[in-house]
Amino acid sequence: MNARDDKIRQVVAELDAHVAEVEASVAALKALLASDEVPAEEEDPS
Amino acid sequence: MTDVTNETLRRWRQSQGWDVPRMARELRKAARDSGEDVAAHHGLVKMIPQWERGNRAPRERYRLLYLKIFTDALGGLPHGMDAVDLVLRLAEVRSRAASLPGPGQIRALEGAALAKPGQTMTPAEIRALAEQAIAHLHQVAGKLAELSALLGDDQAGQDKP
Repeated sequence: MNARDDKIRQVVAELDAHVAEVEASVAALKALLASDEVPAEEEDPS
Repeated sequence: MTDVTNETLRRWRQSQGWDVPRMARELRKAARDSGEDVAAHHGLVKMIPQWERGNRAPRERYRLLYLKIFTDALGGLPHGMDAVDLVLRLAEVRSRAASLPGPGQIRALEGAALAKPGQTMTPAEIRALAEQAIAHLHQVAGKLAELSALLGDDQAGQDKP
């Protein structure tokens, strides 16, 4: 394992972490939108 | 290649911009280069979706051909089991990076979330979440460029963001 391979592994790990952060933030934003999709209770006609 | 999921095969193929017939051609080309016999093109076109869906597992000779294509496509990496793990991880994370939304799409999500009443998060928190996502998106772009430089390949243009 040479220094270049180690560097590639390091960059892949960092890329993985940043991708995971974006995925988590986007999932949280989408969850905020989805939370509004629960149907409202029907009004009691009586 | 026991740790390669069927989903990885599909995502990696799509990250290359290859449809199933192209993947079949690449497998046949890799086989031809190494003097091996493989199924005819139309047979591979049927088998590849089955492998990707997990309906059946590729036999060893096809797993080895996939590895050869993965390694060649990423270029410059050493061979060996350790390198195989790295190649597959790299392919997987690049594929995920290519699937991320762009800054404009994140801003659109932010705007839609801010416009909705009764949120569980404050507007400041929503804005901070979007800012965080975009900041990491820039980091993703930087790391992809760094990787492309390290690998000496020309795939940066295929990656988002």
